[in-house]
Amino acid sequence: MSTGPYNQARQAVRDALAHRKPSHVPIDFGSTAVTGIHVSVVAALREYYGLEIRPVKICEPYQMLGLIEDDLAKAINIDTKAVFTPKTIFGFPLENWKPWQMPDGLEVLVPGDFNTTVDSNGDFLIYPQGDTSVPASGRMPKGGYFFDAIVRQPPINEEQLNWEDNTEEFQPISNQDLLAMRVAVDQASTTGRALVLSLPNMYLGDIALVPAPFLKHPKGIRDIAEWYMSLRARPDYIHKIFERETAVALTNLEKIHAAIGNNVEAVFTCGTDFGTQTSSFCSVQTFRTLWLPYYKAMNDWIHQHTTWRVLKHSCGAVEKFIDSFIEAGFDILNPVQCSATGMDPKLLKAKYGDRITFWGGGVDTQKTLPFGTPQEVHDQVLHRCEIFSRQGGFVFTTIHNVQARTPLKNFVALLDAVREFNGATNGRPEPTL
Amino acid sequence: MADLNQLYDAILNGDHKTAVTVTRQALTEGTAPIELITNYMSPAMDEVGRRFECEEYFVPELLLSGRAMKAALALLQPLLAASGAEPAGRIVIGTVKGDLHDIGKNLVASMLEGGGFEVHDLGADVAPEKFVGAVREHKPDLVCLSALLTVTMPGMRDVVEALKMAGLRDQVRVMVGGAPVTAEFANEIGADGYAENAGVAVTVARRLTRKNHAMDEAKG
Repeated sequence: MSTGPYNQARQAVRDALAHRKPSHVPIDFGSTAVTGIHVSVVAALREYYGLEIRPVKICEPYQMLGLIEDDLAKAINIDTKAVFTPKTIFGFPLENWKPWQMPDGLEVLVPGDFNTTVDSNGDFLIYPQGDTSVPASGRMPKGGYFFDAIVRQPPINEEQLNWEDNTEEFQPISNQDLLAMRVAVDQASTTGRALVLSLPNMYLGDIALVPAPFLKHPKGIRDIAEWYMSLRARPDYIHKIFERETAVALTNLEKIHAAIGNNVEAVFTCGTDFGTQTSSFCSVQTFRTLWLPYYKAMNDWIHQHTTWRVLKHSCGAVEKFIDSFIEAGFDILNPVQCSATGMDPKLLKAKYGDRITFWGGGVDTQKTLPFGTPQEVHDQVLHRCEIFSRQGGFVFTTIHNVQARTPLKNFVALLDAVREFNGATNGRPEPTL
Repeated sequence: MADLNQLYDAILNGDHKTAVTVTRQALTEGTAPIELITNYMSPAMDEVGRRFECEEYFVPELLLSGRAMKAALALLQPLLAASGAEPAGRIVIGTVKGDLHDIGKNLVASMLEGGGFEVHDLGADVAPEKFVGAVREHKPDLVCLSALLTVTMPGMRDVVEALKMAGLRDQVRVMVGGAPVTAEFANEIGADGYAENAGVAVTVARRLTRKNHAMDEAKG
């Protein structure tokens, strides 16, 4: 349960999303699979802040993100709370926790169906829905920190390609999953933090999900390169998939809203990346033709029927896409990769700051946070807060997940800098040390 | 007679079936493989690189053109090997240990092949000792290292060090690339070159391999 000034958390996020000046710059860590912290860093933070030492739960088994429980969230002043999809990327629910050991020896807790084997190379293999009788769908290299999808696509027979094969995952949400979401939302609401709900199967070609690590026998185009080529070579096939995905999503949105109401501040629907480090995966025109109508249909429904704000995640150099993201109905952009070409913080804030909320951009996770000094982290965080926080429209988080091997002193410097920026006048509690 | 401009167009437009058909017909008619590469395939891939640089082409187009080029090249390679024709340079390429991402590396490999290089692709999650073994085996002019992740990027330094330890560093150039990689990082780990994307990689590889040959000639 939240107490006292901690109740400002939810309101601060609401104000930020409404482009009003909040009581403080709200902080998100752990509310989504793209604003999380690697389990090793979560474990280190628990120790640093003197919290009970216990194995950290893996709440996202692909990137091995650690669950930020309420005691840690309070210690580091997090203003958000996750409501995860009913099933993980490997198709099993977050329940029946059991011990597991990371390659570096860290003891963690994983869901009961997180079943792994070790191959002859020493790599960990993980299985869809925990079923070790079917081919593995994920691999963690020996000594690695997280999984990547294993492509299980047989060679394509062009004449036999059927777009419906690519839609197995887009199904009406079950009553069981709806109930689980409602319970999760009710529980999360008691924290006093802003809720971020991750919605299943509305991702329109998220490349991490194209190989379908959650399906036992995925059919259709499931190879990453083949998918990218299909965007150009088989646009009709892609349209058909997106049409089906959107139709199912609209039905599911209605059911989900009926189950949970307006008790969440933001929903995360789509993590399809359009940017690369220096360019993009397609032209803006292709985005407008191939994606925008479907995004707009989903987002329009959300805005017409709910108070939810919709978060779009796209890494990379997407400055030239932002007008189209806004037109498609997205309210929030994440991760705001300022290290990519054209993603200058001042330019972004000046050009788009009153129309879209920047949920990220707080510090560079490619260079500054993992390899810089604490002073460099501190300076960059303060600078980004100064730029992005004017008139709301900013939720602080790092540019994508905090990676394994991030020096703890750098992460603490980040937290100190945000606290310094927010000042002592906002009435928020000091972290529990 | 095969219309060889169709080969150029097929690669530029990513039409692998036409690329194969025209190449096969040209070979049947006695066209020299080197002529197909020099006058049609390499220029097509150069144009692909140019269009990528100026954002007329994106990753899907690069992949399609790369596939068309490789399909045609597969018909030519046995003939080139038999004739003893020398490539523009020999390259060993791979994604470093712990990193399973290979799309970027594959794009670079395709562009390099299109540029007339002989490319030995070691795949993803490649240990330093495997790079060393490949350098001993293939005697490349250039080793290309790719990484997508901040946690695996330091593995590039391990490869450079492994080449030094094996006494091979003076015999080969090293080029690095990948999302988190910068020119500054390339300098820091003692690499010879950095390419920010697949198009630039060909230009840098040509520069580095020219230097390598010049170095050999000076030594000789």
